Amino acid sequence: MKLLDKPLKAFASYALIVLACSIPVYFLIIDKIWVHEINEHNLIVAESTKKNLLKLNLNDEQLAEAVKLWNSLQPETKLQPAEKLKPDSTYNVYRENTYMPDKGYDRYHGLVTYFDISGKPYSLTVETNIEESYETIAAITAITVLFFIVLLVGFIKLNKRISAKLWMPFYQTLEKIKAFDLNQQEAIPFEKSDINEFEVMNTSINKLIESNVAVFRQQKEFTENASHELQTPLAVVQGKLDLLIQTDGITDKQSTIIEETNNALSRISRINKNLLLLAKIENQQFLEKERLNIAEPLKEILELLSDMLEDKSLQIDLHRECFVEGNRILIEIMLTNLLVNCIRHTALEAQINIELKEDRLIISNTGSSTLKTEKLFKRFSAAAIQTPGSGLGLSIVKEICKRYNWDIQYDYVNNLHTFTVKF
Amino acid sequence: MKVLIIEDEPELAKDMISYLSDQNYLCELAVDFQEALDKIRFYTYDCILLDLMLPGGSGMKILDELKAEHKEDGVIIISAKNSLEDKITGLQLGADDYLAKPFHLPELAARIYSVIRRRHFGNSNVIEQNEVKIDLLAKTVTVKDEKVILTKKEFNMLVFFIGNKNKVISKSALAEHLSGDLADMLDNHDFIYAHIKNLKKKLQEAGAGNYLKTLYGNGYKWEI
Repeated sequence: MKLLDKPLKAFASYALIVLACSIPVYFLIIDKIWVHEINEHNLIVAESTKKNLLKLNLNDEQLAEAVKLWNSLQPETKLQPAEKLKPDSTYNVYRENTYMPDKGYDRYHGLVTYFDISGKPYSLTVETNIEESYETIAAITAITVLFFIVLLVGFIKLNKRISAKLWMPFYQTLEKIKAFDLNQQEAIPFEKSDINEFEVMNTSINKLIESNVAVFRQQKEFTENASHELQTPLAVVQGKLDLLIQTDGITDKQSTIIEETNNALSRISRINKNLLLLAKIENQQFLEKERLNIAEPLKEILELLSDMLEDKSLQIDLHRECFVEGNRILIEIMLTNLLVNCIRHTALEAQINIELKEDRLIISNTGSSTLKTEKLFKRFSAAAIQTPGSGLGLSIVKEICKRYNWDIQYDYVNNLHTFTVKF
Repeated sequence: MKVLIIEDEPELAKDMISYLSDQNYLCELAVDFQEALDKIRFYTYDCILLDLMLPGGSGMKILDELKAEHKEDGVIIISAKNSLEDKITGLQLGADDYLAKPFHLPELAARIYSVIRRRHFGNSNVIEQNEVKIDLLAKTVTVKDEKVILTKKEFNMLVFFIGNKNKVISKSALAEHLSGDLADMLDNHDFIYAHIKNLKKKLQEAGAGNYLKTLYGNGYKWEI
């Protein structure tokens, strides 16, 4: 749900409740006014009738005649003799319209008042047609619904305008944070806002980003510097070993130890070089780009690795062309790492397949069990036991793929470890 | 042959001098920028080993200076940074080669050997070792005037041995030399054995003496 939809929903619900409650209130008030007015009207009619009747000073016979005539001419009033004088009373009744049956039931409000003419008690009933309750309710409801719709449309329009204007800086900031990439190490230029909260938010985010970038940079620089610093002492050790093997009287045993030390040392320098390489890739070096056919560097690397591939059963299909854009060195490193990784984990005489398609490279080799996919591309987390590599090869591959938005995938199907790079 | 080593790490400099002196190189050492500058101004060397990160200034400035004074000294950059930019700039500024730390001393010796050969025998770069003749430009080998067909790796290996005469070369130094950057990736150096065997066989079949010796099971030596 979007931020601005939330208050809209609340406002709309509140308006709905208020308007719904207003329907009975309106009805009660309107009905009360109606009844009050009708009562007054009935009273006026009754009083004037009474007074005019008394003014006539009719005798009993004339009176009886007049009452009869009156009652037949004025059906909404009724004048008749009563037993005794009573206080006035009102009533409310629904009755079928006898004159216009189409109209169905009509609502009447009546007043019964008593008076005496020359000592005899008479009752006078005055009745007036009043608006039916359900009609009133229907009318009020219709109007209320109309106003609710007007309100709702207004809310939505206003909301849109508010979102477009008022919340603009917020959404701009949001977009910028979304696009932020720590690897780029660039601060975000937020636009100035005259609203305090947004200004505070932007400054705080900028502070946060700045310290993040600083820490990130420090860490990268640290890796790079540490790797550099290690190279010279490594060179010293290497030199000492090269000199040691020159000395006279070395036994086979000592020579083996020197060679083993050499191997361990080259592993250290390999790790160190790869760490440095990772740091450089992450520090946005190797920016030059060119368009090249993956098959070219792949063939060169296969040639270089020919010694290693001699004892494997190879199946290579590089007939198709696959053009990509990227840094040649990085592409070579990626291909080398993938191939060396593959060679390292393939047993003697086992199968290695390399297939290049128009949009992807597929390298697979026989293996006995699936690798831990989630660990595969992480630094120093050997996914299989006994990996003599640097533990960084696939991390570097992943990092290079990430830079060019290529998709690298690992699958284990039919006893084959399969790495697929989709360009 | 005179070699100037510009290196601020004394232990490394000591080892380099120790290894190269046995190879009949006359080594001099400069430990900082100023000393290096003074030496290149007053003397001429067959090869200069230049560390780029020096106390007192950048090694690149030394290259500039050499160029400005039209010096013909061969230069090999030795850098801890292994940075492509440095390599490109260095080579553009007139350096002959670039070697990243850490390196094997035989590798360094082979590089110096090849730089000096190129500088001194530009047009007819032929090495003669008794009955063995190696043409570095044509990449051919003849024994007693008879051509020996070698693979690219075997030829590289032979030149590497010639550049490290009478020195014990470890299997890992050889492996790293043969597979270049890829050596970093490889853990198994057994493939060296096959190449050595083939090279030995081919040379001996052509009638060359048994110069290539296997030592202690892990090292090799070109003895002459």
